Amino acid sequence: MDPLILSFAVVNGVLLGGIYGGVALGLSLIFGVLRVVNFAHGSFLMLSLYIAFWCWSLLGLDPYLSVFVTVPAMFGLGYFVQSVIISPLIRRERALVVEPLSALLLTAGVFLVLDNLALMAFGPNVRAVQVDYYLPSPMLGPIPLNPQRLIGALAAVLVALGLSWWLRHSHMGRAIRATAQNRDAAALSGINVPFVYAVTFGIGCAVLGLFGSLIAPFMPISPSIGVAFGIKSFIVVVLGGLGSIPGCIVGGMVIGVFEAVASQHITATSAAIGSLGLFILILLVRPQGIMGRA
Amino acid sequence: MNTRTITATPRSAAGLPLGALAAGLGFGCVALVPLLVDDPFLIHSLIMVLFFAYMASSWNFLCGYVGQLSLGHAMFSGVGGYVSVLMFTQLGLSPWIGMLFGGLLAAGLSVLIGYPTFRLKGPYFTLTTIAFAEIVRIWVENTNDFIGVPLKGAEGLVVPAAGDSLWAFQFSSKTPYFYIILAMLALVMLATRLMERSKLGYCLKAVRGDRDAAEALGINPTPSTLAALAISAFMTALGGSFYAQFFRYINPERNMGLELSIDMAVMTIIGGQGTVAGPLLGALILTPISEMARSHLGGGLPGLHLVVYGLVLMACVLYFPKGAIAPLGRLAKRLTDRRGSRP
Amino acid sequence: MAKPSRNRIALLASTMLFGVLAAGPALAQSAVKIGCALPLSGGSATVGNQTRAGALAAAEQINAAGGIKALNGAKLEVVFGDTQSKADIGVTETERLVTRENVAALCGAFNSAVTFPATEVAERYKTPWVVVGSVKDEITERNFKYVFRINNKATYDAREQLDALDLLAKETGKKPKTIAMLYEGSDWGRSHAANVKRFAKDRGYDIVLDEAAPPNQVDFSNQLLKIRGARPDAVIVALYTPDHLLFSRQLMEQRLDLPFGIHSVGGGTEDPAFYKGLPQRAVDYVFVQEDWQIDKLQQTNDKTILAIAERTKEMLGYGMSAYAAQGASAMYVLADALERSGSTDREKLRDAIAASDIQSGPALITGYGRIKFDEQGQNTHAHGVISQNLNGQRRTIWPLENRGSETKPVWPVPAWSERKGS
Repeated sequence: MDPLILSFAVVNGVLLGGIYGGVALGLSLIFGVLRVVNFAHGSFLMLSLYIAFWCWSLLGLDPYLSVFVTVPAMFGLGYFVQSVIISPLIRRERALVVEPLSALLLTAGVFLVLDNLALMAFGPNVRAVQVDYYLPSPMLGPIPLNPQRLIGALAAVLVALGLSWWLRHSHMGRAIRATAQNRDAAALSGINVPFVYAVTFGIGCAVLGLFGSLIAPFMPISPSIGVAFGIKSFIVVVLGGLGSIPGCIVGGMVIGVFEAVASQHITATSAAIGSLGLFILILLVRPQGIMGRA
Repeated sequence: MNTRTITATPRSAAGLPLGALAAGLGFGCVALVPLLVDDPFLIHSLIMVLFFAYMASSWNFLCGYVGQLSLGHAMFSGVGGYVSVLMFTQLGLSPWIGMLFGGLLAAGLSVLIGYPTFRLKGPYFTLTTIAFAEIVRIWVENTNDFIGVPLKGAEGLVVPAAGDSLWAFQFSSKTPYFYIILAMLALVMLATRLMERSKLGYCLKAVRGDRDAAEALGINPTPSTLAALAISAFMTALGGSFYAQFFRYINPERNMGLELSIDMAVMTIIGGQGTVAGPLLGALILTPISEMARSHLGGGLPGLHLVVYGLVLMACVLYFPKGAIAPLGRLAKRLTDRRGSRP
Repeated sequence: MAKPSRNRIALLASTMLFGVLAAGPALAQSAVKIGCALPLSGGSATVGNQTRAGALAAAEQINAAGGIKALNGAKLEVVFGDTQSKADIGVTETERLVTRENVAALCGAFNSAVTFPATEVAERYKTPWVVVGSVKDEITERNFKYVFRINNKATYDAREQLDALDLLAKETGKKPKTIAMLYEGSDWGRSHAANVKRFAKDRGYDIVLDEAAPPNQVDFSNQLLKIRGARPDAVIVALYTPDHLLFSRQLMEQRLDLPFGIHSVGGGTEDPAFYKGLPQRAVDYVFVQEDWQIDKLQQTNDKTILAIAERTKEMLGYGMSAYAAQGASAMYVLADALERSGSTDREKLRDAIAASDIQSGPALITGYGRIKFDEQGQNTHAHGVISQNLNGQRRTIWPLENRGSETKPVWPVPAWSERKGS
């Protein structure tokens, strides 16, 4: 293949993959700590995109500035969903056999409700943010980088680094990690487990809020947009290792580059089959993912 | 856990289990409906309820008893539908025979997929089944012709009209379809009941409780789960063939899509997984909800019925983890107990 | 205590029952019920709701103008069923509309996958069905007696796009040689691509790229890179709104030059929401084929058409679209047939629809010259209209009869570097 086209494809793949990874961070964090596979992950992203859109459309707020709305709003929503909807399940399961499937079903219910409430409230129309300024495209050698995607990918790396550092060094972060390792032991040593869970879920959603604002400038928004990103996020997280923060970014970039390079040779549909196949293969051969610990 | 396995089954005077008697009576009454009323829409709606009850029961046969959540069963329905339709259009084979081939192919496929994936636990298994089903769907959508077989891609397959013919599984009246799906549902529920009491059923229950403990007791979980999976896939495929013959049209998006898988799982879970009547109850609860939301509010509030689905699902997971059948079962038990204590 | 309350319930039930029975015939005399099965929720909800608005607006106009005169001014009452774009739900809704709502005629259902089996139900109940929006050829190739289609077949769509290329080539002497195709990988996109491929060979066009993409992409960089590599003269696009939006925006950002432009076969580019979500320079010079003459409202002085457009805009929040126009057209075709049959009897109504020959009036809102069905129920005078986006206006350029005298197509399309303001 033409080396210029190939390098174009790789650069595109890295940028897009970084965004995949950033969007998937919340899913991985929530699974790592709560052992809950959040089926409604894409729906939370959809809501963030709508918040960013309405801030722009009604208040004239630039989508990049809408982070100051989306992040706290999504943290609040996540905190609420965990403490009101999911926590009764976790409380019940302490006594009985742990059934992670119930949590999956519960979040599947949340997914159905959120996506269709959005359809009822906002209608089926596709909407898009339009900003009236140009961001210059930085050049990487002969290849122009799309500025909005570059911002998204860089933010993904920074958020992953920041989140890892915070989990390692802050008091709350240590409490979260302790709870992730052993819920009962953490409770015995005085950690308020329900609070930790709610904060973790809130942070997972807040990260989605951030990426909602960062991708709103170039992503068309509709009530069903969450599903496309939701499926991608599952693939990314499994590839990188469920619960691993750096694995998320690496997994995202691997999928991004894989799809970009593969789709130069085959159609996008075959590439989609390829990434699903890769997903199954990883689960069967190396379920801990690229960066996860066994 | 399951009260019925601990206490002795209540028996009627004739010595038949009360459950069997009630089931026979229920099916008998439903079977009379087409004789008593001449209302095609009612019959059509009942066929839809029975069809979803059948699909959910087929799903329940494996997932309800093994405790694994498959969201890929639509794949088997699609395989069944495609095989019976293609054998009819390409080879002129009766769909009655074609659907058996479809069932066998689905069962074979399920074992191929199940063998490596059953080691995966909980959500991992679920995500894998979604991925497998999506691969099959995307492949069929984008394949017009596979080694000479016209799959016709996303366009879907049409069953050519063949008039009123038992051989071609086509009837101008809805009543034959009604009795066919009713019989299919009765068979799958009977099969589930027999399985519950068989060695297979006990193995599955042991595996469900604790896979490692079951293995320590000398139960090899693989053959029993695979057997249940193959039967479940076989029955799901027959349902797919029924759909193809009833609507005379199938396409990958609907007949292999994730939504159908979710419908099967959600109905079973809401009704009560791991029970004979749970899936039927789930279909009885959910199908009218969606129909009512459509006919009364469909135009005004699109998506409302799915919101209701979601809320019912959440309420069930939180408050009725054994499904809507659990409170009903308790009620029935209280009634029979009271009658028993008062001679 | 128990007895009276049970009696009261029985009383209530019987009054309700009698109320329904009494209201039934009374309603039937003053209103003609038309059933409309449309995807009001699910993936095609936008289109379904546009069609719904068009049908409602047209029915309001017909009723305001005195209803169906041959039926003593009976009003049209449109009853909707939500198909959710699923065949089984569409069939169930059709059963309901026919047997429960007792409609005189049906229309719908946009998705060919729904229309195909649902029209079989209509045929079985001998209830006329006017197809709206579905293009699958076979719908009007089954020797059905009760199914009529006003709009194009899929093969017409593909042929027209190439006809327009030929026309522009003839007018200017500049003919594109190579074509790339980018389409969504489900029913509509794939069948359109297959048709284009079939015609392109005979017309001397070379297909240099044949690229399907699953619906709901989150990025088109890879496909754009492939188009860049294939260097086509023109690109034929069949994508739904979200994908088309993303594609058009990325095409603009990457300033990919296509000498003979983008030729979209509707989908996203038929949707008014599409134009709201993009800057003008992203859609400059784009060609769109659709079953609706986009500059009709500027060219017509038919008050009814303008009133329908006004009312649709009120309901939807944006202007007329191809689907709103098709919904309105279907209502006028049915009203015309009802006037001639003078009866809501399905058999008589069917015969009246079959004998339709409409050459003027709001039924032609979509831009057709005439509506007349062949023995298969296909309107053989159906044709799409192709527009080009010129100076912020979408102007009809094909067929020549529909092109305004002041419209001058821009051909070939200027490179990005030569465009003003980019």
